[in-house]
Amino acid sequence: MSILIRWLAGAALAATFLAGSLTTAVAESRIVWGKPGEITYGDVHVAGTSASWDVFQLVYETLLATDENFQLQPGLAESWEQVSPTEYTFTLRDNAAFSNGRKVTSADVVGTFERILDPNTASYWAKQFGSIAKVEALDDHKVKVTLEEPHTAFLPAVAHISAAIIPIEEYKAGSFDPITQMLGSGPYMVEEHKQDESWTFKANPHYWREGYPLAETLYAPIIPDESARIAALRDGRIDYTFFGNPDVELLLARDQNIKVQPQETSNYFRVDVNAKNPDRPFHDQRVRQAMNLSLDREAIRDLVFAGTTEVDYPVPRAFGLEACHQLPTYALPRDQRVERARNLLQEAGNPAPKVSIIATSSSELYSRIAQVMQQSMAEAGFIVEIEQIPVADWLQRVFTDSDFDLSVSWLAGYTDPSMVISWWNPNFAIWNQSFFVDDLALNEALEQVKRMPNGPEREAKLDEACQMIDSGANLLALVNKIDYVAHRDDLIDIRVAPKTGSSNMFQYVDEFKSLKDQ
Amino acid sequence: MRILTFLGSRVLFALITLTGASLLVFIALRLVPGGFADVVLGPFVTPEAREILTARFGLDQPVWVQFVKWFLALFQGDLGTSLVTQQPVAAELLRRLPVTAELAFLSLLFALSLGLPLGVASATASTHGGGRFGRMVGALGASVPDFVLGSLFIFVFSVWSLGLKAGGYTPLAEDPIENLLGMILPAVTLGVFGMALILRTTRDAVLTVLTEGYIAAAVARGDTPRQILRHHVLRNASVLVLTVSATYFGYLLGGAVIVEVLFSVPGVGFYIYSGLLNRDYAVVQGGVLFVAALFVLLNMLVDLAYVLIDPRIGASRSQQ
Amino acid sequence: MRSLTQALRRFAAGDRLAALALGVLCVMLFLGVFGPWLPLGDPTKLAAGPRLSPPSWEFPFGTDELGRSFLPRVVEGIRYTFLLASMAVAITAVLGTLLGMLAAYLGRFVDQAVARFADLLFAFPPLLAGLLVAAVAGPGALSVIAVISAATLPLFIRVIRSASLSLAERGFVIAAEVAGASTWRILIRHILPNVMSAAIVQLTYALSIAMIIESALSFLGLGEQPPRASLGTLLRVSSVYLTIAPWLVGFAGIVLSLAIVSVNLLGDGLRDRVDPLRGRPLT
Repeated sequence: MSILIRWLAGAALAATFLAGSLTTAVAESRIVWGKPGEITYGDVHVAGTSASWDVFQLVYETLLATDENFQLQPGLAESWEQVSPTEYTFTLRDNAAFSNGRKVTSADVVGTFERILDPNTASYWAKQFGSIAKVEALDDHKVKVTLEEPHTAFLPAVAHISAAIIPIEEYKAGSFDPITQMLGSGPYMVEEHKQDESWTFKANPHYWREGYPLAETLYAPIIPDESARIAALRDGRIDYTFFGNPDVELLLARDQNIKVQPQETSNYFRVDVNAKNPDRPFHDQRVRQAMNLSLDREAIRDLVFAGTTEVDYPVPRAFGLEACHQLPTYALPRDQRVERARNLLQEAGNPAPKVSIIATSSSELYSRIAQVMQQSMAEAGFIVEIEQIPVADWLQRVFTDSDFDLSVSWLAGYTDPSMVISWWNPNFAIWNQSFFVDDLALNEALEQVKRMPNGPEREAKLDEACQMIDSGANLLALVNKIDYVAHRDDLIDIRVAPKTGSSNMFQYVDEFKSLKDQ
Repeated sequence: MRILTFLGSRVLFALITLTGASLLVFIALRLVPGGFADVVLGPFVTPEAREILTARFGLDQPVWVQFVKWFLALFQGDLGTSLVTQQPVAAELLRRLPVTAELAFLSLLFALSLGLPLGVASATASTHGGGRFGRMVGALGASVPDFVLGSLFIFVFSVWSLGLKAGGYTPLAEDPIENLLGMILPAVTLGVFGMALILRTTRDAVLTVLTEGYIAAAVARGDTPRQILRHHVLRNASVLVLTVSATYFGYLLGGAVIVEVLFSVPGVGFYIYSGLLNRDYAVVQGGVLFVAALFVLLNMLVDLAYVLIDPRIGASRSQQ
Repeated sequence: MRSLTQALRRFAAGDRLAALALGVLCVMLFLGVFGPWLPLGDPTKLAAGPRLSPPSWEFPFGTDELGRSFLPRVVEGIRYTFLLASMAVAITAVLGTLLGMLAAYLGRFVDQAVARFADLLFAFPPLLAGLLVAAVAGPGALSVIAVISAATLPLFIRVIRSASLSLAERGFVIAAEVAGASTWRILIRHILPNVMSAAIVQLTYALSIAMIIESALSFLGLGEQPPRASLGTLLRVSSVYLTIAPWLVGFAGIVLSLAIVSVNLLGDGLRDRVDPLRGRPLT
């Protein structure tokens, strides 16, 4: 028995020792961001995931930026001009510099465009520029881009992080490798990266905005688990983070010092429909239309998102356009839609199609959306299975093997309506060729939208394209995607745009201010 | 001499096991749907882009060529390069090993410091109730899955600030106290199962020893229970406890994935887990081989300890 | 059959803790098997009530994040957890017993091969192996069963092998050999009955490990596909809501832990039966 007592006494002693030394001083001017996921790849022109973008957005800059009204703002370029329908000039800030101290020059811009357009770089973003005929430096700070034909979304495409300007001189000299290193002109530079553990950023001393960023150090531990992130906010280990699950407002409601701000986006949850594979039910357009009619988007909104989001349309609602709003899919009462869906299935000779929905396991939200879809589609006669699989398997099955019926994910809406819906042309998008049927009329409409200047005529064309998209039912919008930024308002002062179009959640990070040092 | 032959054959078999294991993993990984290029490029992958990326990382060569290359590099201590970070896998594993080892060590410490005394106490308890209490604790500890316990800890420690950190890791060298505060909860979460394991093993071992003739002889001699416990029971029970502790420690070195993920502890398990999610082949291959090698090595050390403690065991085991 | 009931009765009289465990397991098995026909509610009906509502008369276990009644969800969880764990353990038992007996009886090369095979399986931490298998074969019931079997097999083989080892030299086996019995016949008729008790004890332990692994895999999102849910899946999904709906994790966690504790206690009780020499007090 005495052995037991001795052991226990030892354990108790150790515990008191630990409890007695709890307080540690906090470094000044340091802000802590709980980053939900590790980047997937370090090359700013190649990585297509938002978990990579949010690091790039700290380190790199783009020529232009967009604000919460999706209006263009100066970035690395302090001014820009559209000289003709196909010609643009950018004037760079003369005090912008990379974090190694070298000034950003026209050569960096020209070289960056060359790198993105080079097929060997394998950048997915190259096509969003339209077709570039020529990029030339007019002088040290002036760059001219010439397009082969008008492309209204050219400037918004330049404002996306995938078009970040990298230091070309160092890249060509071999002292900078864009895959393993990050060197940009943004407010922060990488000081240390421990894979899956943390990122440490230091203020870029050569950042063009005088006196910014306000915080000297930005430390970003990676905390994938939602509950662990909530715990870290509560005990003050992190100052701010974000969530996709709308229930965080509920989960954090009782914490007086934690503020949750919803940030609207032009992004939406979407469903991909496999129309290409002739052995599968959705090869038949009527079955696809029946599915579209039977989907209960309101139920997804209310059950999965607790009523916090809105039903969305192929042309994102964030742009405030009317496209698709009056279609039966959206305007008809639920019971009549189900009735129509049943009739369509009868007509197609397939009253009870067996289909499966793929929902990746990266977020529980996908599986919940799929479960609501399952129930609402069942009302029209569908027999639905759900497959929750890892992201990599999903990528292969949907985008390579064409081995699926329906797949739930989300789509970035960007800052011009033509950018997102241009994906509905599989010849342009490429990535959805595995499941998307080519529709010549739709392709033509989309091309026209891209060339048309903003105005009522373009809006009418967008509506026309949207109707074709709805009737093709090959790639559909479900509900708007909202992100939830949470921060400790006793520890940090942050500014979050109420809305972002370029997935630039922490656009104003250089103004984040630690309140811990007073 | 006996020991040398024994050791030689064990090392040989260990090498065969490890080669088999790495071949198995290598082939399994090539069968996994969803390639590295898919993950990196996201859905925006064009066939050309994928080809370029696969070629850049040598993933377009035949599987056996890749394996032979990888295998030959092993002998120079090169476990390959992570596709995601472009950093050597071996260096990253070595950087993470101390984290995992610390976690495993703390868990084992917890398990032993409660499991041993409770096990002995429950085996030698004079009352029926005492023995039953030990049995109950043992069964309970072995039955609460680590993620249930971990979630519970995160809940309790995030709602009330009780001093310990639920999630988040501070390197030991940076701030030892912060480090311990963050490691205690994951260590206890993992240690509860170990505690139960060691409790039950100790209890069984002690009970078995107690039936031996020499104990009866000692009792007849008039030794006090305490002397008997110290001189006969614990010494003889220690072999079994040692085996179980070593196996448990080996399990902790590679099997703490859930707890590492739950508490964001950047250990070896987490590394392999995220490597698999990212289809970062080199990380998974190197990581699994590393963990398996540690495990096999630990078992070998235990076997060696046996031979040193009791040559009879070694002889019969080496014939197996 | 009569001897079995007698044995059970004797068992219950001697060890109340194990008897209690057996009782709990029987109730769970009953719920698992007959759950779908019991008037507990529909486990898949969405929006049966408000989301995340606390336990009430209408929803005894509250409702989950999609407004489903949680009681039938838990009952369904018991069903899948038991189903997967026991199927996997059945495979382990058959394979493990066969390989263990073969290794012990044939010795030499076969013994070596089986021992190395067990070593190979043993060298993989079960969860990592699980992740790999799920990655290759896709998540779902089959992967889970394969992983559990692979994880519980090595120990099973070793236990059966060592239990059969002494038998191979015993008089009745040699007598049977002399009489010209086939290897198969000797294994089944002479060795198997004598390793049965060791196998049953090991079986219960394997079952408890199986339930832990199954729930761990489900917790990582590699288990049964939604809306089907094992207890591990329920725990994963509801752990997020621990602070506002603690009853979800509470009910699922208690039921899962209770199930595993019962299996363990039953195993302890059985082993004390099989090995009655143990448990003599010191004085």
